[in-house]
Amino acid sequence: MRILLPKLAVIKHSLALILVLILGMSSVYAVDEHAINVPAPKGEECVEDAKWMRVNHFKTVLNHRDDTVIRGIRTTKHSLKNCIDCHITPNETGDYARYSNSEEHFCASCHTTAAVTIDCFSCHADRPEHVIRAARQQSQLEALKENSVHVSATELILNTPQP
Amino acid sequence: MNQMNKKYALLSKSEQDVSQGVDKGKRTFIGGLVGASGLAVAPGVMLYQTASAKPVEQAVSNAVRWGMLVNVNQCAEDCDDCVTACNDEHGLWPKEGSTTDSQWIRKLTVKDPSTGNAKSLPMMCQHCENPPCVDVCPTGASFKREDGIVLVNMHTCIGCRYCMMACPYKARSFVHETLENQLPDSPRGKGCVESCNMCVNKIDAGDNTTACAEACSKAGHEAITFGDLNDPESDISTQLKAHGGNQIRADLGLNTGVRYQGL
Repeated sequence: MRILLPKLAVIKHSLALILVLILGMSSVYAVDEHAINVPAPKGEECVEDAKWMRVNHFKTVLNHRDDTVIRGIRTTKHSLKNCIDCHITPNETGDYARYSNSEEHFCASCHTTAAVTIDCFSCHADRPEHVIRAARQQSQLEALKENSVHVSATELILNTPQP
Repeated sequence: MNQMNKKYALLSKSEQDVSQGVDKGKRTFIGGLVGASGLAVAPGVMLYQTASAKPVEQAVSNAVRWGMLVNVNQCAEDCDDCVTACNDEHGLWPKEGSTTDSQWIRKLTVKDPSTGNAKSLPMMCQHCENPPCVDVCPTGASFKREDGIVLVNMHTCIGCRYCMMACPYKARSFVHETLENQLPDSPRGKGCVESCNMCVNKIDAGDNTTACAEACSKAGHEAITFGDLNDPESDISTQLKAHGGNQIRADLGLNTGVRYQGL
């Protein structure tokens, strides 16, 4: 018994040292919330506690997607559409960021920092509906303009009197 | 190996029989129940709810069965407003240079060779009661919602396209190319099969109509009626009762939710 006691003390000390080391390392590797430039949402507070959401939002969205697709439950609280409508806001120039913009898009800003690769947005809208519809209208108008320029150019050639 | 195969085949066959038997039994039981309650209650008073607008937090139920009735005689040959409206509602915008754009609804001209009589009609997913696309789907992605709408759960669709081969109406499309600018209510993407979802987003929002039916009324043709087939008082049911309605390929026994008049 007497022989073992000093050994226990050594073990205790070394355990304490390891604990200190681990804690020190984790503080170095822990994500600093303030280091990520997360764009501000539209509303005052999130549908759930923000800290809880940071850890669990994907579970919430996963549950909700099955409820919506299979059972037709369309509450907005946990819907991806609601997340996007609130979190994707215009920047100073009035533009809405796409998911490919890892600096300005709310979801992308954090996913990039946390090295998370998801493909929600290869199918789902990454901006509110009115933004997508407005962009669509704009591109249609531009296409029309381009076409009308072509037509008038052709008309110009046709109507020019030949020498 | 042979024995194993045999065993597996036997098992799946018996499983199928059991599930079919249970399903049928349940249906007749429920049908009988509804019929009995309908008899017991005074005329005009129904025990089951026929109202279509459900609260958003409530799951859909088989108390309703959504369907559409197309009056072919009122469908104009040179009009494709239903197709345009569908494309706009769900963001099925043509991709430049692509030859494989999805079609959820398309216009067809059918001709009787013996008389030469031609009719124009819209063709889309017929929302069968016994959908072959659901039967063949290996992942369960192709499914029928409780209210009779046949959908693709794109989260589980692996893009095998068995359903496209099984569908007698060629109603489904495969997305071959990367898409952009999808709308929030109609998420869609490369590698998945898709088809008419009877504007499930509008129905769940309580709109009680579809984009194609709306556009048809707007164009003044009133050829498409949307409604609840289970509700004997609904517009679609009264029209079906008065004038009847055909199923396309009724011989397949699919009991389609989309019916046609004047074919």
